[in-house]
Amino acid sequence: MFKKILFATSATEACDHAARVAFDMARRYHAHIDVFHVLGVPTRGYSQVVVDLTTGDEVTLDDNYRDLVKEEIRSYYDHQIQTTDDFAITVTIGHPHREILRIARAEKPDIIVMGGSTGASGSYAHKKAATGSTFQRVAKAAHFPVLVINRPAASFWGGFSNVVFATDFSDAADHAFAFAFKLVKELNCEFHLFHALDITCFQTDNFHTQDTIDDQIRNAIAQIRFRYVSKMGDFKPYAMEVWEGIPFVEIVKYAREKQADLIIMAYNTRQTDDPEASIGSVAEQVILRANCPVISINRSVGKE
Amino acid sequence: MYDLLTGPGLKLSIGICLIGLIIRGVLYIKGLHWQLDRVAYTAHLKAGIRGALRSIFFWILPFGARGWRTQPLMTVLFFGFHIGAVCIPLFLAAHTMILQKALGISFASLNQTVADVMSWGVVVSAFFLALRRLVLPEVRILSGPYDYLILFLSAAPFITGLLCRYEIGDYSFFLLIHILLGEILLISIPFTRLSHILLFFLSRAQLGMDFGIKRGGMKGKGLNW
Amino acid sequence: MPEGTLCNRQPIQTDEALKTLLSDTGGRQYYQEMQSLPVDTPLLWETIQKTCRSRIRTWLSMCARCGMCADSCFLYRINDRDPKQVPAYKIQSTLGEILRRKGRVDNAFMQMAMETAWAKCTCCNRCGLYCPHGIDMGVMFGYLRGLLYQQGFVPWELKIGAGMHRVYHAQMDVTDADFTETFAWMVEENEEDYPGLAVPVDKVGADIMYTVNAREVKHYPEDLAEAAILFHLAGENWTVPSRGWEQTSLAMFAGDWEACKIQVESVYDAMERLKPKRMVGTECGHAHRATVVEGPYWAGRKDGLPPVESIHYVEWLAEALRTGKLKINPEKRIKEPVTLQDSCNYVRNHGLKEITREIMSYIVEPGYFIDMSPNREHNYCCGGGGGFNGIGLYRKQRNKALITKRDQILSTGAKLVIAPCHNCWDAIRDLEEEYRIGIRWSFLKPLILKMVEIPEHLKPEE
Repeated sequence: MFKKILFATSATEACDHAARVAFDMARRYHAHIDVFHVLGVPTRGYSQVVVDLTTGDEVTLDDNYRDLVKEEIRSYYDHQIQTTDDFAITVTIGHPHREILRIARAEKPDIIVMGGSTGASGSYAHKKAATGSTFQRVAKAAHFPVLVINRPAASFWGGFSNVVFATDFSDAADHAFAFAFKLVKELNCEFHLFHALDITCFQTDNFHTQDTIDDQIRNAIAQIRFRYVSKMGDFKPYAMEVWEGIPFVEIVKYAREKQADLIIMAYNTRQTDDPEASIGSVAEQVILRANCPVISINRSVGKE
Repeated sequence: MYDLLTGPGLKLSIGICLIGLIIRGVLYIKGLHWQLDRVAYTAHLKAGIRGALRSIFFWILPFGARGWRTQPLMTVLFFGFHIGAVCIPLFLAAHTMILQKALGISFASLNQTVADVMSWGVVVSAFFLALRRLVLPEVRILSGPYDYLILFLSAAPFITGLLCRYEIGDYSFFLLIHILLGEILLISIPFTRLSHILLFFLSRAQLGMDFGIKRGGMKGKGLNW
Repeated sequence: MPEGTLCNRQPIQTDEALKTLLSDTGGRQYYQEMQSLPVDTPLLWETIQKTCRSRIRTWLSMCARCGMCADSCFLYRINDRDPKQVPAYKIQSTLGEILRRKGRVDNAFMQMAMETAWAKCTCCNRCGLYCPHGIDMGVMFGYLRGLLYQQGFVPWELKIGAGMHRVYHAQMDVTDADFTETFAWMVEENEEDYPGLAVPVDKVGADIMYTVNAREVKHYPEDLAEAAILFHLAGENWTVPSRGWEQTSLAMFAGDWEACKIQVESVYDAMERLKPKRMVGTECGHAHRATVVEGPYWAGRKDGLPPVESIHYVEWLAEALRTGKLKINPEKRIKEPVTLQDSCNYVRNHGLKEITREIMSYIVEPGYFIDMSPNREHNYCCGGGGGFNGIGLYRKQRNKALITKRDQILSTGAKLVIAPCHNCWDAIRDLEEEYRIGIRWSFLKPLILKMVEIPEHLKPEE
């Protein structure tokens, strides 16, 4: 399941929680881990000058500088690297999301692990030019599961055993289900299939009675059975539930209640160009609030 | 002396001037090269001619080009100088008489008041053009003795001409000096920057063709000079 | 004195030489060697005899030294009206002086000429519009750059850039395989959202052959994706060549005329091979100038035209919007103050001034488009043209040069600047980084993609 992990990192505090999860996973599943760092964005037209994303300085790129950055990363993750001997450090230049997608396409990792927002460091103009965060752009385009850790993953202890799959019945959710089911089967996890019925859209029309909502809940359960359970064969350790409310809140609450160590869901937005819309996306709200890792999937996994 | 200068002297200096200018013009045109200049002069002659005419027209029209409009003072000096410099030698009554006598060509002659205004225009403009060279740093850095010499060379016949016109000092002496200076000016035209009498048109036409053929003249309405 | 190992008169011909020069960080050794690079004066004079003909000689000798060009030059204005920045002075003290001395100039002179040619002129050609004699100093600086390049006096980055064109037929180390592969990748990324999206490679007889800027392949593949999607939505029969896809020419900035010819011929070969009806180039100014405006002359085409009709992206876009191939959702038009950067290379130098405004009329809600002043063919250079953007040695001068554009943008009050030119886009991005005036900047493609209506039959199945 996890033989190859691509850990894309800014090598700053912002990625510390992600680093813990990435290296723990590598150790637990004996995976190869690629530590990948984009050290700078090209600037100054066609010149060799890049803006170092960590310091915000303009540097002229050469092999020395590359080696220096590699060495810095190695020492930054020194104690974690000691726990594994199957790793590689790669540094490159470019626009982070683009380079992460590029290496993912070449290396075909089983999963991409990323940290949350990198905060205020780095190139000012680069940030302004890039609409949406690196994660948004990677999650939107990748044919790979993207695991993001924004908060300390309190309930993660090295492996996955208790997985929540949150669905909105979209196509992307089908892709997410395919991956999630493969994961729970291979890693022998408990599997919680969950749908949050969005009642915020009822606000304009408050004549919906609890009966209507109950009807919809029953429908959703039926859909879960039809779309997913029917494909699970004789897989037993699963449960399903549908709650009504504001979707991201319900998903986070449900995961907490089930003490989930992983949430898998569709990223499901075609509109990352508009930062306003995508920040509001359910997946991103969940990522911001969940205290376990979240894997988001937007496309069919492993497509060539 | 007077007869020598207005007879063979005049013929000679006009001859040198015209032949010299023709040679300059021919050499200029022959020296153009479609590939080195990167302008396909002959392949798109129509667009080229249109561009050339536009390029000349807007620049000989006072305030016709944006360049003139953005520097109105310079424009007044420029045209003040050039209108007189072109019209007076050819159309002043005294000149048309001499020209008819020496070469047998007759032009219509200017009304005296107009001629006075034009002549004064040349002299006053020349004075301010010289002053401009001295005062404005962006012109001063470009100016050398040659620039003042050219300006002096072109203004001197007008200054002496005015001295004769108002009969200040020794008339016959200044008249001779005036004619001499005028002929020196004529002779120097092909050999100095004064060759722009012709080359201005050729150079403007060339750039006009460049824009007219290559740089967008065949896309849309053409350059807004 | 011998030539240096890095700084010399030989152009870069091999990948190995390219890597060696690249590894000289910032050109430290390169510029060191330049200090003692001898000038081959016989070669210089011989070249001038052969290539400097009546146009340039007349320009230099007939210049009336009137100084009317001074105010036309944004570098003169922004550098506190330093008389040494007057265009006529700049060209007379360099090229003019070389001619007067019959090529007998020394190392110090050549270094001064190099700084003048690359840090005091962006070849924007604006001065040519303000000289009563029609003297275009930008053209002469282009010529001077050629002489300097031949003698080895060229900024490090441009020596590399010209070498890239010689080795890769592209301005960066992007191979033909990288190019088609990147397009394939972009199709993969977007085909779920745009079913049927495809990038036909080497299709013979297509209506459009699309050419790009290698930087898009290397760093901004989204741009390729956007181009592909917009052609797809417009229902165009288009293709990209697997060879000859690079439209730009750093060789032109460098004055490496031989490399210019090599580069542009690779594109023309693709036209001859694929016989498209038209070529459309990406949103780049100098690429258009190199391939469409100047290129035919480098390649020796007597009609001064490329083998097939070649248009800039803005011309294609305007046409697609005009004819309804692309439909804009009126709800999604830009509803904030927005301004437009006129790129010298295809506006002043190729007359495409009204067509970009036509595009504005389709994509901006009436009343929100504000022109800069001056504009169209009288617009100022972005501050980074002619190679200025990329030269580390002249960073300071370049940053100062950006102030002109900064102030032009500020006085429009617009917060969004549309820059359909890579160089301008870079310069405006840099000016925001340098001066933080709170603007955003964009090419046209991403803006159009946000507001274009997707025809029913091209929508993904829900």
